[in-house]
Amino acid sequence: MIGRRKLLLSTAGAGLFLASPGLLRHASAAGDVLKVGIPVPISGGNAANGKYASMGAIIAAEEATAKYGREVKTFDLDTEGKPATAVRKVQDAIQQEGIQLFAGGILSSESLAMGKEADKGGANFITTAGADEITGTECNAATFRWSVPTFGAINQSIRPIIDALPNAKRWYTITPQYVFGEGLLQATKDVLEEKGLELVGNSYHSLTEKEFSGYLTNAIATKPDVLLILNFGAQCADTLRQAVSFGLKERMTIVVAWASGLEQFEALGADLCEGIYFGAQYWHTIDSPANAELVKLTRAKYNENPNYSLAGSYICTKLMIDAAMKAGSTDQKAVQAALKGMTYAGLTGEEHVRPEDNQVIKNYYLLKARAKSAMANKDDFAEVISSGQSFLEVAKTGCKLS
Amino acid sequence: MLLINRPLVQFGLALLTVLALPLFLRSGILASEVLIYALIAAACNLLLGYTGLLSFGQGIFFGLGSYVAGIFLTRYGVPVWMVLIMATLLGAAVATLVGWLSIRRQGVYFVMLTLAFSQLFYFLAYTFSDLTGGDNGLMDVPRPDLGAGPMNNAWSFYIFVAVSFLVLFALMLQATQSTFGRTLIAVRDNEERAAAIGFPVKAFKTAAFAISGAVTAYGGALKAMLIGVAPLANIEHHTSEMILIMTIIGGSTSLFASVIGAAAYMILADVLSQIWPRWLLLLGLALVCVALFLQKGLWGLIEKLWVMFFQKDQSLEKKEAEH
Repeated sequence: MIGRRKLLLSTAGAGLFLASPGLLRHASAAGDVLKVGIPVPISGGNAANGKYASMGAIIAAEEATAKYGREVKTFDLDTEGKPATAVRKVQDAIQQEGIQLFAGGILSSESLAMGKEADKGGANFITTAGADEITGTECNAATFRWSVPTFGAINQSIRPIIDALPNAKRWYTITPQYVFGEGLLQATKDVLEEKGLELVGNSYHSLTEKEFSGYLTNAIATKPDVLLILNFGAQCADTLRQAVSFGLKERMTIVVAWASGLEQFEALGADLCEGIYFGAQYWHTIDSPANAELVKLTRAKYNENPNYSLAGSYICTKLMIDAAMKAGSTDQKAVQAALKGMTYAGLTGEEHVRPEDNQVIKNYYLLKARAKSAMANKDDFAEVISSGQSFLEVAKTGCKLS
Repeated sequence: MLLINRPLVQFGLALLTVLALPLFLRSGILASEVLIYALIAAACNLLLGYTGLLSFGQGIFFGLGSYVAGIFLTRYGVPVWMVLIMATLLGAAVATLVGWLSIRRQGVYFVMLTLAFSQLFYFLAYTFSDLTGGDNGLMDVPRPDLGAGPMNNAWSFYIFVAVSFLVLFALMLQATQSTFGRTLIAVRDNEERAAAIGFPVKAFKTAAFAISGAVTAYGGALKAMLIGVAPLANIEHHTSEMILIMTIIGGSTSLFASVIGAAAYMILADVLSQIWPRWLLLLGLALVCVALFLQKGLWGLIEKLWVMFFQKDQSLEKKEAEH
């Protein structure tokens, strides 16, 4: 027979167990601070990018705290690289923490979903994700994007190569089958068609793919002059490793349209990367005052050079904070008004937020990896071959912001 | 039977969970997710615990349910109640097909078949991206509108989820206590004997699959409405693994064990992922501990504690009776 006291005691015990996460969070709730949510994959396949993104956001927050004299705090939200988890974390951050500023999202699928959630929830979101839809057909007033979309990435990475290698007539692509990859592939097809070059084949793969040898064998069979790799992050690194071990570097020119930056070079090593072309949103040697400052801050805090994930997150967080400070509040409409049309000294030189589609207009870079013997220091993996800006006209993006 | 395993007490504990979650969790979304996964893990338990079928196919039904919600709510504007019925029926139909084919083989071959079906449906969803949105999934899935506008507040949707959870949990409890449920246990314990007695074993197993698939698909539809997205990840084999892990961690000896398993998984994942990026390692470790030392899961531990503190006399009586 169970006594009432025993029943109450056991119920209270169970309640305490369930309560502990909530109680812990209540205890750690911050006071009057400017809060910025950083929804990035901190666990899962893209955890490395998320870690650096978190570090970049912290630098931006510390810099802003010193500049504005108001405490700015970042809140890491682990998206696990999954749209559903990302949306839940953003919803929770808006409803539980009252966060209205978000900077993050590395994968396009999660960024698209988070942008919509921010729009619905009265918040603003800025991302470095690549899918054209973010500032194109799926654009909304609350979603901003710092990185160059697929059109610009392809134009700035393959046009210089076409000019430099006039005999490279046959191209083969390896593409992840989702919005980002499709965007890169379509832009590639357009450029190749315009230049009268041939796309001799394409291999699609899923976002969960880890084994690329079959696709590389298909590529070898078509005897291309250029292998253009259109995937990103860990998948891109796996593709490159397998391509080099198959001896493709000796048989054809290898181009990565959208490299994840310094961390990718560090992971792959100089010997593997030598001679490969990489399209890049950011490189730590860019000659601009804002970048020089970021390099200084990053070296001081983390004793290393900033990579793309860190730099992208830094500038996105900084833009959100600056807009909120300029607006004098984190109100959705006020922050949007402050961001739209903003021209500022960015990491890639003067950058501008195009008000018609919330796209930041900035440079994209083409790098060529150096030989290990030619590296001046441990991070001198590549030289910048070219840089420039290519953006679709607003009318062609499909974005209709009212 | 221990008091805590009696159907009314099990339902009471489910009700207590529904009432307790809003008091102790700040996030209405997390609380709703706990209930949705509790429902799905209980449906998995119907197969694993009551029928002895280790299925890696639960993600199929979960994904289908979320796609039904995504497609019919965003493209055709079908009423929510009808979408939920459609998801449930489709889940039952596909589960019947998967179950009917998989139970042709036993043991490891059965497991491999369910895994193969899981991959098959994943690639179908991936291939027919016009319908499913491919890797992007389907976005803008609305929450129900029960006359007072869409349930944009997470806690108002929680009430909707909680009612669904309690009704379906009660129905599953009823099923486990019925002749049907007892026959499933007979099949699990000794399939040859059950067949020799004259039970149509395959029909019972297929029916268990159908019920499990129906409830799982219903949960998938609820999840899509909760998050507003029906992603490809829902139909991946990883989702099936996650559901199985929740079920195993909770324990497979009672339906409420699955609620404990789902709650432990979801809440720990939420807390640990903020603390340590490699939190999945801890989850793996927990699974190893359960497999080695807690084969009846967390519920088995609770049963032991219950006997130790509250029903020691009953346990002694049982031992004496055994002597």
